[in-house]
Amino acid sequence: MATLDLLVSPLGRVEGDLDLAVKIDDGVVSDAWTTASMFRGFEIILRGKDPQAGLIVTPRICGICGGSHLYKAVYALDTAWKTEVPVNATLVRNIAQACETIQSIPRWFYALFAIDLTNKNYAKSPNYAEAVRRFAPFVGACYEPAIVISSKPVEIYAIFGGQWPHSSFMIPGGVMSAPSLSDVTRSIAILDWWREHWLEKMWLGGSVDRWLENKTWDDVQTWMNENKGHYESDCGFFLRYAQEIGLDKFGQGVGRFLAPGTFFQPELYTHPTIEGRNAALISRAGVYDGKTWHEFDQARIKEDVTHSFYEGKKFLHPFEGVTEPIDPEEGRKHGKYTWSKSPRYDVPGIGYVPLEVGPLARQIIAGNPNHAAHQNYDPLIYNCYQQMGPSVMLRAFARMHEAARYYKMVRQWLTEIKLHDRFYIKPVERAEGQGFGATEAARGFLADWIVLKDGKIANYQVITPTAWNVSPRDGQENRGPMESAFMGVNVADAEDPVELGHVARSFDSCLVCTVHAYDGKSGAELAEFQLNGNGSC
Amino acid sequence: MVSLLWLQGGACSGNTISLLNAEEPSIVDLVTDFGIDIVWHPSLGMELGKNAQKLLYSLARGERPLDIFVYEGTVIMGPNGTGRFNMFAERPMKDWVIELAHQAQIVVAIGDCAAYGGIPVVDPNPVDSIGMQYFRRHKGGFLGADFRSKMGLPVVNIPGCPVHPDWVTQILVAIATGRAGDIALDDIGRPKTFFTTFTQTGCTRNQFFEWKQSASEFGQGTRTGCLFYELGCRGPMTRSSCNRILWNRQSSKTRAGMPCLGCTEPEFPFYDLAPGTVFKTQKISGSVPMDLPTGTDHATYMAHAAMARVAAPSWSKEDIFVV
Repeated sequence: MATLDLLVSPLGRVEGDLDLAVKIDDGVVSDAWTTASMFRGFEIILRGKDPQAGLIVTPRICGICGGSHLYKAVYALDTAWKTEVPVNATLVRNIAQACETIQSIPRWFYALFAIDLTNKNYAKSPNYAEAVRRFAPFVGACYEPAIVISSKPVEIYAIFGGQWPHSSFMIPGGVMSAPSLSDVTRSIAILDWWREHWLEKMWLGGSVDRWLENKTWDDVQTWMNENKGHYESDCGFFLRYAQEIGLDKFGQGVGRFLAPGTFFQPELYTHPTIEGRNAALISRAGVYDGKTWHEFDQARIKEDVTHSFYEGKKFLHPFEGVTEPIDPEEGRKHGKYTWSKSPRYDVPGIGYVPLEVGPLARQIIAGNPNHAAHQNYDPLIYNCYQQMGPSVMLRAFARMHEAARYYKMVRQWLTEIKLHDRFYIKPVERAEGQGFGATEAARGFLADWIVLKDGKIANYQVITPTAWNVSPRDGQENRGPMESAFMGVNVADAEDPVELGHVARSFDSCLVCTVHAYDGKSGAELAEFQLNGNGSC
Repeated sequence: MVSLLWLQGGACSGNTISLLNAEEPSIVDLVTDFGIDIVWHPSLGMELGKNAQKLLYSLARGERPLDIFVYEGTVIMGPNGTGRFNMFAERPMKDWVIELAHQAQIVVAIGDCAAYGGIPVVDPNPVDSIGMQYFRRHKGGFLGADFRSKMGLPVVNIPGCPVHPDWVTQILVAIATGRAGDIALDDIGRPKTFFTTFTQTGCTRNQFFEWKQSASEFGQGTRTGCLFYELGCRGPMTRSSCNRILWNRQSSKTRAGMPCLGCTEPEFPFYDLAPGTVFKTQKISGSVPMDLPTGTDHATYMAHAAMARVAAPSWSKEDIFVV
């Protein structure tokens, strides 16, 4: 605990919901600690409540991925109640979940990530002036259009779900709505407006179909140099500028990845079960250990609280999970330093380790060539990963690549809805049972475990993407993924360590966070600066 | 220029995210066209660097003028009154809130959590959350019943989970364009202009409500009927403008087939989500709704309902929102 005590004191200085303390030796990060600084107790609230209470409560855990919370919460109930879900309902759920994510892609890039590309530390880069022209907050040429356009995909969400954020229109057995013809045609028109005005005009500078022909990093170079539209697009510019300022060189992380997958092939998941989940997924689940892929199994997950502000040092599977908060002042005396628990996964042959979740993890799983016909296989990002390894740039690139992929899927699902068929099959409300539901929020793994007894919730545990990525050390003293990603980062200007900001934002932790940098020898604070997030996943 | 500080306590950021969906004005327009100077907001690209705390202290001490203090989320009091479940800039958030609220010209509670407590205060209220000037419907809250901001106003409550972006932008524009005096508040601090009509006002299911025709079930069942009778809709007794100013410019929960949860009222979530209360109309002796449309009583309601059912035209029993 000696090293921890050294940094607990500076960690007391918190701004916002996430605090990062980083030790810097001779310009290189030599250690890192992440602190989530707010606790609300949603899992405690859910105990003893109506089985469907999670449909109302869990979306309110996070305003930016509330639709993802709803999506996994309903599958937790579908599996617990053993419902039948009609094809139409699965399509509508898929559409809604994907629309939330494609809302988040430009909003995250322009409002949260790209504004750091205009940091004055890059003023000497040849393309700096162009970066400022495009991405400067509020006044950049791309900033306002992208913010406004990002609200379009969730108009489709509202057509099916009434509103976004915070609808609860998915229920066990289906969805509450039954769209009319014009609901579907309007949705298609909105989606294609978004494709035309942002995805193709601003982001790709060319067609979606041409972009999706890219299977390798070399293909991307060919695409880039094919015409001026591609080269000058925000995508083309980002990839060129990111390499110019070195974002492809740091922020590697733990190098192991987890995706729970999302979107179901409707006819393969009419009777949702935990066991049948992986095979029915379109965007696949899996674990990548740095060398090879493994099947995903929720039974291999446990949460550790050794360094978290909860009672004791328990290490439990979520079905047995507990949430017993303690006063942080007391916790610090025992080496605890954050409200985030430490989710860990038992990787075959390796044991319980931290795993990175999010778009990069999803795309590395998508690169596994062993897949069923209905499942997404996309080798592009995995090829890039093999060529250059994980980095800030690749994490951002993986996320942006999904815009094109998700557009195609939503467009297809909209054509598959059969308006005269059912959208809901009333389920039997079972008094006992347990269920598991998961999805890919924009920023990664999101899952619920529910235990029902006597017609009410006996236990409810949620694991968020941020819990995986900003998790603290575990009982084995393994750092969390974001803590690991800071290790070895070269900080050019300790007074303004923008590199640390890039790493934090590349994970899109969706917590507001502040970085504190300390001199490894003197312990003196070098700098602090505000990062921005948008939610509390 | 109108200075605005926005902080988040026991929050999900949903009100901020909802605000980003705004158009006419967008969040960018508020800054560039209406001169709202967002001195700090947790999600927007404001660069503050190491001056963040200095700035907050200068606002909290009154050294720098603060026109609008927006607070999103509950005020977290636990554990044991220390506020340490929610630390912010070296201190419990509640300590910042009380100082900033007393320096601001206008204090705005955004969302149900800040206004009345919302989801975080649901039994057992694990972190001892409280609203800015209310705890549910009880006046007092964190700042006290007698609190007035420098302009002499109680906390302006803009509830909803989340708020509709227009409810926020139009109030901010009103303040920025010198119409603060036109913001009349109801007896629980809500701007009357948005919270006098009911959620039901403008609902596309009103004809079914009139003839007491119920939607039979969710999904295809919502192609006809009203959601009030069986599916737990609180539209007839919830004050909001959800069906006057549509969500995401497209729809509303009740139009889409989702029952209103009453999230602009202090009691949200109703019945503390007790078993049997979610998406189900609570009944007396198995048939009569326990909670009635505002302003009616059970005797009148039953007489009216019986008459309406007899008088109901045949089309009111058929699908109307058809393919």
